[in-house]
Amino acid sequence: MKRIAIDPITRLEGHGKIVIFLNEQGQVDNAFLQIPELRGFEKFVEGLPVEEIPRVVTRICGV
Amino acid sequence: MKLKIAIYWGAACGGCDVAILDTHEKILDIAAAADILLWPVAMDFKYADIRRLEDGYLDVAFFSGAIRNSENEEIARLLRRKAKTMIALGSCAHTGGIPGLANMYGRDEILDRVYRSSESTVNPEGIVPEERYMAGTDEELELPRFYNNVRPLDQVVDVDYYIPGCPPASMQIYSAIGLIADDMLPKKGSVIGAGDRALCDECARKKGEKTINRIYRSHEKVPEPETCFLEQGFICLGPATRSGCGSRCIKSVIPCRGCYGPLDDVKDQGIKMLGAIASVLEPKDEKSINAILDTIVDPLRTVHRFSLAASILRRKKA
Repeated sequence: MKRIAIDPITRLEGHGKIVIFLNEQGQVDNAFLQIPELRGFEKFVEGLPVEEIPRVVTRICGV
Repeated sequence: MKLKIAIYWGAACGGCDVAILDTHEKILDIAAAADILLWPVAMDFKYADIRRLEDGYLDVAFFSGAIRNSENEEIARLLRRKAKTMIALGSCAHTGGIPGLANMYGRDEILDRVYRSSESTVNPEGIVPEERYMAGTDEELELPRFYNNVRPLDQVVDVDYYIPGCPPASMQIYSAIGLIADDMLPKKGSVIGAGDRALCDECARKKGEKTINRIYRSHEKVPEPETCFLEQGFICLGPATRSGCGSRCIKSVIPCRGCYGPLDDVKDQGIKMLGAIASVLEPKDEKSINAILDTIVDPLRTVHRFSLAASILRRKKA
């Protein structure tokens, strides 16, 4: 079993990695796109004054 | 000789990278002065390319984003080894930034909200990301460890300089790169690409005697266009924030939230701001003072909007 990792994937906003497993014949057995990042906006915006939300969630993606 | 630089992001939004690109045609000057050996948002280099370099091979590494997980930390340590000069770029790397607000909670509270309990999530099996996952008998996948809290860059590796801001003003990044190219960097540990006064000192709004009887939220009153926000009762972090942004929020009729971080002699930006608020309240008796302060909704995330992870509070007690 051969493993190929494309790490990081580039020219996009955010973190990503692709892992490909090849079988004995060198053919793709399985391929995975992984997103190795999380900041947790879903949690830490809770309870913020509503008028402050736009200037916080604009930092989810700045691209 | 051209500088050899790396530009990288940890827990970030990419806004710092875009701020570099927003130097517009001056990006050509940067390209003329520097060879870029890593820049995930714009160029196709891999971590393996950096691991192959000799230690100290890079002249400068610009690191934006906070340290949220083990990958952020691993690449921060890798770039620290490979670079002669390490620069924390932007609020997240400087003081934890917006991702640092997660330090009000622990790891499990965040994972539970994001992957299990949020209203838009369908996850009957309650699956959360795991560091190791066997996809088949010998197909092992790995994810970085999601830490219990967020750290600014200098809580993880030695940092030589800081370029503050969320995002840093593009021309401030350009001028900081100029300092590097011209070998004019100040003493280690300095904040570069910013002013050395409080934002208040550069603010064009008129300041008089500040006496506040109540705090206003933005929907409760239309701000008078030429008078200091704080004087009108709107919380504005100008007194506790370093200048250098060009007053961009204030010019957009939005009070400052402190993204340029504290001044040199200030250990904790939020506490500095609390002191500034206390000093402008009109009542002098404790009961009346507390009555006004109690109307500040969410004081922690107001005064520490960008600096919680670097504050003396730093994180929720484990």
